[in-house]
Amino acid sequence: MEKNEILNQVLSVFHDVLDNEDIVLTYETTANDIEEWDSLSHIQLVVAIEKKFKLRFTSKEIQSWKNVGEMLDCIKEKVA
Amino acid sequence: MSFKAGDIYNLPFTVTNERYNGFIELFNDKNPLHTNDEFAVGHGFKGRVMHGNILNGFLSYFIGECLPTKNVIIHSQEIQFKNPVYLNDELQFKATILDVYESVNTVEFKYEFRNVETKVVAKGKIQIGILK
Repeated sequence: MEKNEILNQVLSVFHDVLDNEDIVLTYETTANDIEEWDSLSHIQLVVAIEKKFKLRFTSKEIQSWKNVGEMLDCIKEKVA
Repeated sequence: MSFKAGDIYNLPFTVTNERYNGFIELFNDKNPLHTNDEFAVGHGFKGRVMHGNILNGFLSYFIGECLPTKNVIIHSQEIQFKNPVYLNDELQFKATILDVYESVNTVEFKYEFRNVETKVVAKGKIQIGILK
């Protein structure tokens, strides 16, 4: 799966979990850029992404992500 | 984490007079469906219908007191009411772990309450976090 396709699917998760269709994601986006992305919604996002892509992250992987692009790289590796 | 998908928890609960009255006293919901037998029967029920949210109290007890750890917090829960619950109904509660998300210390349950006729009176899902 291409990274841009993953980005689109992750974006739909963000819209759904954060109840905001106006959110735009780029590879450089971080939690600081999205008001609704707090520590609790972060858990909901991770759970929803794990469900959507039928994969599991480790807590180490999650902590290593500096932005959305790194999260997408991690997903891409797992779904390859 | 001492949770795994498929684990099942069973508990009995009864909507006693004490719980029913306590709920009304605490939250002041005296809607006639819950307090007037004649009204409830007139709307097709066998008698006063217990407040569905009394069951949410049972869910709170289950999560707070009946799991292998007390280090828990409820992230979200949803409940669907399927059949009426009447005073002194004995309910059988069953919760099953649907999934464990170790990356974010989260556990998801599905649950149901059945009455003595084995009819599902309520069901739903709860997501909890395991506190570090």
